[in-house]
Amino acid sequence: MTCLPEKTDKKLGLLIDLNICVGCHACAVNCKEWNTSGITGPMEDLKPYGDDPSGVWYNRIHSYEFKKENEVDRTVYFPKSCLHCEDAPCVTVCPTGASLKRAEDGIVLVNPDVCIGCKLCSWACPYGAREYDTSAGVMQKCTLCVDKIYDETIDEERRVPSCVSTCPAGARHFGDFANPKSNVSVLAAENDARDLFPEMDTKPVNQYLPPQKREHNEGKKLDQKVSTVKDALLKWATLDFSG
Amino acid sequence: MHPALSVIIFTTFSGMGYGLFIWLCAILIAGTPPDDTQIIAGTVLSIIFVGTGLLSSTLHLGHPERAWRAFSQWRSSWLSREGILSILTFGPMVFIGGEKYFSLGMEFLILPMAILGLVGAVATVFTTSMIYASLKAIPAWHNVWVIIGYQVYAISSGGVAYIMIADWLYYKLVIATLILALIVKIITWIYVDRHRGKYTRESALGLPDFGKAKPFEPAHSQKNYLEREMGYNLGKSRRAIMRWLALGCGFILPAGLLYIGFPIAIFIALICLGGMMAERWLFFAEAEHVVRLYYDKDTV
Repeated sequence: MTCLPEKTDKKLGLLIDLNICVGCHACAVNCKEWNTSGITGPMEDLKPYGDDPSGVWYNRIHSYEFKKENEVDRTVYFPKSCLHCEDAPCVTVCPTGASLKRAEDGIVLVNPDVCIGCKLCSWACPYGAREYDTSAGVMQKCTLCVDKIYDETIDEERRVPSCVSTCPAGARHFGDFANPKSNVSVLAAENDARDLFPEMDTKPVNQYLPPQKREHNEGKKLDQKVSTVKDALLKWATLDFSG
Repeated sequence: MHPALSVIIFTTFSGMGYGLFIWLCAILIAGTPPDDTQIIAGTVLSIIFVGTGLLSSTLHLGHPERAWRAFSQWRSSWLSREGILSILTFGPMVFIGGEKYFSLGMEFLILPMAILGLVGAVATVFTTSMIYASLKAIPAWHNVWVIIGYQVYAISSGGVAYIMIADWLYYKLVIATLILALIVKIITWIYVDRHRGKYTRESALGLPDFGKAKPFEPAHSQKNYLEREMGYNLGKSRRAIMRWLALGCGFILPAGLLYIGFPIAIFIALICLGGMMAERWLFFAEAEHVVRLYYDKDTV
């Protein structure tokens, strides 16, 4: 059924901390590792060692350079995967019922046995979360590791999406946004969490924590902050601890 | 958006077919119908055009053998609604053509069937337009001019096809619809050109308060599906050539040839169809998807 559920019992999703992400791509690599042998695998991987490799990834790590007046430029690493939107336009456009949003936990999935590969859902998604598998002729997307997070045969603390368990920096959090006391809801409430592309009215479940604001560096230039070994030695020599 | 030939053929051929059937039904309803041979030829041509379009649309599917599943989600999906209505509208087409050819003695049903056919064809073209107009992620499509346009171009191109089968009785009316279609197309381009740049990369990233963002390291070394499907770049000179081609062949030349009474109607119809294909090619090539904000576009 491609009508969206009025309300989902849980809103499972990710909280991604852009202040912490170091852009190492480990989440994307482990995502592919898990999912290529998971329920939606194998994930397309054409000419992996050739000149023109291509394939499906559920998670891709973009990076951007932000320039703002009177501030030092900053680099922001930006992992992007399906946001499991509450008003997911990719679900309602699906003519076959292959795209669905689960009423129990809000996860957006594609049923590969029903998908006709019309690609309309990928057109409807403003975030580029869906990628077409040319070999299988069906659409693919992040499953929030639905075959891992409910697996009772593994330790409870491992029942999180593989992008979350692998992140070496702790930039990714997984939880239920419908529960105001959950880890992700608390972090989101305390830290100015952001929706991607709010104008699209998709009500994304996944949230992003912005990079840290710079409060005291107006007008300062980067070279004023850097001190050389020579400066440090001179300061110690003169017992000047002014900072 | 990448202009895929299968989808261009789908919307132009089915548009012309439904347009032709709209003319046929309207004239059956209004009286002074063309003779039976012409009605049969008209319904057969409509079925061929629409059938070619629908078959072509299945060519771009990953699993054409599952196409029947697309009839199931009419509650939410415009594509599904389009599929159902397109099949239903074959009913009046087949009935009117069959009744005239086989003389089944159900002449009294021609008028109700013509009304059903007219409503069905208009509704099918409307659902086709809504497949595109409902996509907020593609601003060039998400507006009322797309809905008006699809309907008007179907009627104008169908009118030119109608001249082929039913003499030149209504050629002045066809010229009028061609002029109307020309005006709608120009207004649509004005609208689209003036509404570019509404969405920014910073908003797409959820970080509008951190200054200007530009891509740093690409997320992947080679183009991915998103860039191949949605990253079509149309140069300004190519756009100008295609726009003139669309206007010239789609509307101006057919109207001119009809006005001077050019004797080979099929030639006019082919020019018009070619022009509509150029128009539809542009419809895709010009439309920018907001996902490009994460890649190469600062604004869409």
